Amino acid sequence: MDIASGLLHGFAVALQPANVLWCFVGVLLGTIVGIMPGLGPPATIAMLLPLTAQMSPAGAMIMLAGIYYGAKYGGSTTSILLNVPGESASVVTCIDGYQLARKGRAGAALGIAAIASFIAGTFGVVALMLVAPPLARLALAFSSPEYFGLMALGLAMVVLLAGRSLVKALLAMLVGLWIAGIGTDPFGTTSRFTFGRMELLSGIDFVVVAIGVFALGEVLANMEAREEPQALPVPKGLRNLLPTVQDLRDCRFAFVNGSVIGFLIGVLPGAGSTIASFISYGVEKAISRRREAFGTGVIEGVAAPEGANNSETGGALVPLLTLGIPGSGTTAILLAALVLWGFKPGPLFIAENPQLFWGLVASMYIGNVLLLILNLPLVPLFAQVLRAPAYVLYPAIIGLSMVGVYSVSGSVFDLGLLAAFGLLGYVMRKLDYPSAPLILGLVLGGAMERALRQSLMMSEGSLTILVSRPLAAAMLSCALLILLVPLFSRLNAWRLQAMEEEE
Amino acid sequence: MRIVTTAVTAALLFAAPAHAYKPTRTVEVVVHTGPGGGSDLLARAVATMMEKEKLLPVRMQVVNKTGGGGAVAAAYLAEKVGEQHTIGFFTGVWLTGPLTSAEAKVTLRDLTPIARLVLEPALIAVKADAPYQTLADFIAAAKQQPGQLKQSGGSVTSRDNVVRQLLQKATGTRWAFISFPGGGERIAALLGGHVNMMVIEPAEAGEHIRAGNMRVLAQVSDQRLPGFPNVPTLKEAGFDVPAVPQVRGVVAPPGIPADNVAYWDDVFRRLTTSASWRKFLADNQFEDGYQDAAELANFYDEFTTRMRGILQEAGIKTVR
Amino acid sequence: MFRPSPDSWSGLALAALGVYIVLQTRGWEYLSQEGPGPAFFPRWYGLAIVVLGAALAVAGAKSASVNWRGAGRALGTWAVLAGSIAVMKFAGFALGFAVLTYFLVAWMYRRPPLQAALVAGGMVAVFYLIFPLALGVSFP
Repeated sequence: MDIASGLLHGFAVALQPANVLWCFVGVLLGTIVGIMPGLGPPATIAMLLPLTAQMSPAGAMIMLAGIYYGAKYGGSTTSILLNVPGESASVVTCIDGYQLARKGRAGAALGIAAIASFIAGTFGVVALMLVAPPLARLALAFSSPEYFGLMALGLAMVVLLAGRSLVKALLAMLVGLWIAGIGTDPFGTTSRFTFGRMELLSGIDFVVVAIGVFALGEVLANMEAREEPQALPVPKGLRNLLPTVQDLRDCRFAFVNGSVIGFLIGVLPGAGSTIASFISYGVEKAISRRREAFGTGVIEGVAAPEGANNSETGGALVPLLTLGIPGSGTTAILLAALVLWGFKPGPLFIAENPQLFWGLVASMYIGNVLLLILNLPLVPLFAQVLRAPAYVLYPAIIGLSMVGVYSVSGSVFDLGLLAAFGLLGYVMRKLDYPSAPLILGLVLGGAMERALRQSLMMSEGSLTILVSRPLAAAMLSCALLILLVPLFSRLNAWRLQAMEEEE
Repeated sequence: MRIVTTAVTAALLFAAPAHAYKPTRTVEVVVHTGPGGGSDLLARAVATMMEKEKLLPVRMQVVNKTGGGGAVAAAYLAEKVGEQHTIGFFTGVWLTGPLTSAEAKVTLRDLTPIARLVLEPALIAVKADAPYQTLADFIAAAKQQPGQLKQSGGSVTSRDNVVRQLLQKATGTRWAFISFPGGGERIAALLGGHVNMMVIEPAEAGEHIRAGNMRVLAQVSDQRLPGFPNVPTLKEAGFDVPAVPQVRGVVAPPGIPADNVAYWDDVFRRLTTSASWRKFLADNQFEDGYQDAAELANFYDEFTTRMRGILQEAGIKTVR
Repeated sequence: MFRPSPDSWSGLALAALGVYIVLQTRGWEYLSQEGPGPAFFPRWYGLAIVVLGAALAVAGAKSASVNWRGAGRALGTWAVLAGSIAVMKFAGFALGFAVLTYFLVAWMYRRPPLQAALVAGGMVAVFYLIFPLALGVSFP
């Protein structure tokens, strides 16, 4: 079935009233789930699975997919307003998003997040539609050495997140790597750094660290001041409630960047939206003319990662629908749902079930539009949250963080960990250690170690495997280049200084 | 007079219902995987079947207690001493975990065994364009290039590696084992040509075989599966190694009363004789491995002793 | 007079962590026949931490000192937070959170006790409404 007829067929399915309703329910639920820190799409979809047995497979799939990409829209809300990442992928949005909120531009940030998500989400669907099968074959060429290259590239981003002291950023990143290593060795049975505690056997959940370091650290830092009448300035006037034309212009490249990078990384099974948003942020910062301002509230710094984590959903559906291989937790449950309804996802899935595939694709277009319509008007409403007085807002943030963490694991031990990481976040702030590299190391550490060890297992101990394959070598070279950038600029500065002194 | 009293008492005792226990609120089903994982899917499928066949007067609610390869879920059950509305689904890792990990303190003996449900067979598969037509071909190639061929699989204590260890020992060959934590990644590694062979479950392989991307060399099971009538089992292919199954079953917390155990025993017995169960087994190509509580306890002892031997021979450190 | 700066302290602390990590890796396999073992990765980044930590400690000897003025309040808040989690373990979420909120409002923000109690009660109620009732998320 070629694309045009497939799409027409798909819209015929997607525009049936029942399916539009399911789409709306899905994206609404997804947005709510995304806003709640900790509660994520995998758990929600799993909870709804028994109910879907009563629905038509098309309707059910449309709803579940709606939850999946809807959550990416909602995740930015708490990140921007409260510095609490609503979803693991929204961590990067906290960096500039929260700073924008502090400057009174929360509305603009929220609006840009929604718009970037829409553009990238639509791009993801279009790409899914056009290039899914050939891209799947490309994804298969990707294996451990290439993943290692990708992780190295991601870690090299630390250079761009460094701020004033590169040494401190590197140290933060290495500590992040260490935290990622806590738990059972992924390949065997040795437990590392668990201090004999069974709760640490499976490692420390990313959500606990991120919320602790970002949100709680921020709250504790704010406790220092005596009296604060209002926690954050409320955006005044229409100008600050929505992004301006200038903002949109500034984000031109970010929209493209987020869409493309997010989709490509989504296609790779195992690489997640967090990696996509970090790399997209890093690239945006590298290209931007005002790269020093990143981290203090630059609008592109919100648009790029938010776009990336949305187009990643389109990308993640590629291996699922073309090969039956799930690339992440959420796609694993979608796979399970398909199996439950009697389908057999695999290489022949699209060919044998065109109505489902095209119906899904069409519904994703509709879903993205619905989400934009849903989210944009809500932006000024959400911005009013900041009106709450500090003594209500901060306990609320703490409470929200705790509920979020508990909903993921159900253990009070994790709450204790949350408190510990909150303290760490506070101390890091006081001692001027950047926290983004810590999160970066944590996210990439596990994957990088696995990729490295798998590669060495494949090559029987020889490191050349990492550079002998073209894709891997290309990525490692990029990583190296990025690492050398600060060196170049410093050399240049010395050179200029030397020239000045000679005169 | 006393005879009458005794007679009346005896009559009352006999008239009392056989199962004094009946669940009165939602039953909690503990699994050690996250949503979408193997145990989670089985638990949800069982819950659906229970409703369909009306075997339980209440709902079943799946609770995910991930971590430590089953250790967290097992410990959670062990803590709920005497809790009558909780059960758990165990898999092979619950049995082998305590053998190799010091922190995994809870063994099946510490819990109340209820039933063994399924045995999962496996297939030995290669990419369709590989030069191996039979398992013997692969072994011969491995003999010529010791350590060069690669297999993708789960962790070092997983069934994939156990099969590999047994085959290596029986044939005197050696090939590399690359661990991939996720099933999808293992398949991707095989299809992408990065590894040569893998041990895969029939349900996972089905579609790829149908699409012509994979070829099956042998079956890891005692009898030929209905879905693969032309593929030899390990024994038929000439390899005298036991077909190591992946086992799944039901346990309950310790310290529950006898009528509670009897109730669960009965419910699961009736489940495994129902039509939905048969269809479930056929769809997923599982083997019916039903054993009741007593048989399960025996199986546990025998299985752990056998595993301990295999692991030690493979050079993996055992702590219990 | 040599006065170690905060950067030196943190550098030293991190270097110590690095040493600890490397020492721990001695108990594990570094390289086996099957491939790199559990000790491989940690040993390298542990070493990196030691080196960088030491470098920081030395180079940062002249860095500006940290403004510790508000630290007492922040750490006090943290102590209350930790305490409330302990309360939650035994008495449930509602009580723990109420205690936390009360402390924050009354102590940190110097509001009258009645207002603090009202806010605490109100927040608990709101949380209960949203989470367990509407969304089915459970509480400790």
